[in-house]
Amino acid sequence: MPDATAAPVRIIAAKDIRDALRDRFILIVAAFLSIAATVALVTGAIALRGDVATYAAAKATLLALGKSADAIKAPEFYPLRLLRGAIEQIEIIGAAIAILIGYRAAANERGRQTLALIFTRPLHRWQFTAGKALAGLGLLAGGLASALGGLTLVLHLMAGIGLTADDLLRIAVVWAVAVAYTACFFLLGFILTLHMKLPGHALLAAFAVWLLLVLIAPQIGDTLDPDNQVAGGVFKQLNIAKPDQIEIMKGFATYETLRDGIEQASVTKHFERFSFAVLGIKATYTGMPLGPVLTEMLGNLVWILLTALGLGAVALALPINPDRLSKA
Amino acid sequence: MTEAPTLLIASQSARFVLRERTVALLAMLFVALVLISAWLGWQATATVNRVYLDAAAFLQKSGQPVPTNPVLDISPLSLMRNMSVYVALIGALSAIVIGNRLVGLDRKAGVLPLIGVRPASPAAYALAKIAALAGLILLLALFSGAIATLTLLMLPGVVPDAAQWAQLAGFIWVSALYMVIFGLAGLGAGAAARSETVGLLVPVTLWLTLTFMLPQLTANLNPTAAINPVSALAPPPDTPFFRIAGQILGPFSLADAYKFASARLLDYLPPGIASPSVIPPVADLTLAALLAAALAWRALTRLPMAQGDYDA
Repeated sequence: MPDATAAPVRIIAAKDIRDALRDRFILIVAAFLSIAATVALVTGAIALRGDVATYAAAKATLLALGKSADAIKAPEFYPLRLLRGAIEQIEIIGAAIAILIGYRAAANERGRQTLALIFTRPLHRWQFTAGKALAGLGLLAGGLASALGGLTLVLHLMAGIGLTADDLLRIAVVWAVAVAYTACFFLLGFILTLHMKLPGHALLAAFAVWLLLVLIAPQIGDTLDPDNQVAGGVFKQLNIAKPDQIEIMKGFATYETLRDGIEQASVTKHFERFSFAVLGIKATYTGMPLGPVLTEMLGNLVWILLTALGLGAVALALPINPDRLSKA
Repeated sequence: MTEAPTLLIASQSARFVLRERTVALLAMLFVALVLISAWLGWQATATVNRVYLDAAAFLQKSGQPVPTNPVLDISPLSLMRNMSVYVALIGALSAIVIGNRLVGLDRKAGVLPLIGVRPASPAAYALAKIAALAGLILLLALFSGAIATLTLLMLPGVVPDAAQWAQLAGFIWVSALYMVIFGLAGLGAGAAARSETVGLLVPVTLWLTLTFMLPQLTANLNPTAAINPVSALAPPPDTPFFRIAGQILGPFSLADAYKFASARLLDYLPPGIASPSVIPPVADLTLAALLAAALAWRALTRLPMAQGDYDA
């Protein structure tokens, strides 16, 4: 009689986490993500420092000439905004790593031909899946926590003014949603690898989906943005102020709906919109209290959570064939 | 003596890889995206034109000066600018997979010992694999070139001149060169790695680093800007760090080199923007392809022919 409690789930999860840590796979990929994200943060900070120096020099010149410095705009400094590149790296590389973790979780059992062996034990199929999913979530949560923790430390030291408790809370919210976002890709890799005939093909199929959702759909939406068609922005080139831009773009409602629809199809874009709003990277949300931002971003959050839960349900519902002994 | 086995192995390998459904899937995705890229370029440009007309009417009404239409400066070739992004994304990834499968299939199917007992030298085997890779990638590039040509012929109001057709051919050649670099990385890693997964992960990590990390260091380009053909050409911040990083890392930043080469060939490189690298983009890509070929050759010629499958 299989044990219907959560104990087998915990055992499988703990074993998977131990496996992943023992062969240093997770450490290597987490280090790669951390390096990519830190590079993004540091280069953003260096660029901002350049802007500040340019502003200071221009201001000094104007003042030396006896003119007012009001004509030039001071660069704005919101430390969390420097996380933009890092968030984009999590969007892309984090999702790819999640697929690999999912692939390994399933391929290991098939490669070592232990899947059939596991099911000779008194174990429900859902407990196996839940254990694997729990381990994946744990690894993702740990990897992202170390990457975002490192970034927070670098940001705190570089920002000069230090981070507030509100800043830390926002980073924690983004971390939690990043875990849910990457969980979608973990589950995708896991489901495909466990159920497709050849695990190698499953990895490639998962990467094809990753390409479409993470890179191509947002890229199509971004490319179709009229403001991105001319270097520096079409409105900037035409010297049109923001309120007038909005007025002009009202005539392109259908086009914008189509463009937005393509972007909306991607869970990546929902994660991006959510995290950019929470961290104040998008100018509209800079300085807005967290509560109203979360209320406004609820739709994006629901989309991400439903995708993860939906894939989780599929993983639990699909019958597992224990005779899948094929290693590749 | 070596010619016949080389040709035989090359044609057999190419046929074998084409039978793989995943390779076919990626190649089809690439071709479909090339088609979409033509539509995207046309649609986006048409929209900018309409935005300009609306903006011009608005500026005229409010008594402000009306600048010239930015669309008038756009070359017909630049309609295909999204193709450069799809080559850099899915083209490169397809090439990695083709390279990996070309050697991976032999290793997994256990045919290496069978080839090893035939009178074919390791050099003939390596040459055959590289030739098969080059042939398949050239086929992919020519196919996308044909689609680009047909699209340009079909789009209303688009008439490229002879020089522009030559530029398009140059772009297809540079795209093939860029894909070959990744294909060779896939081939080399697939031959050198002890496990199948590592053989695929090493070139994919290289691709991620070149596409998303190095442009950040050379020009402060965030990943999503790096995959937008226009945003990717924004001038780097004018600071000593980016100047030095551009010069030192420029030759290694192959995605940047491909970006500048394709922007120049497809006529969408903004005036005053140039690669910060000390090596010109096309020369840089050629050198990288030669280096990748040398590494792939080394890995292929050292492949233990007595052994069949991967260790893990």
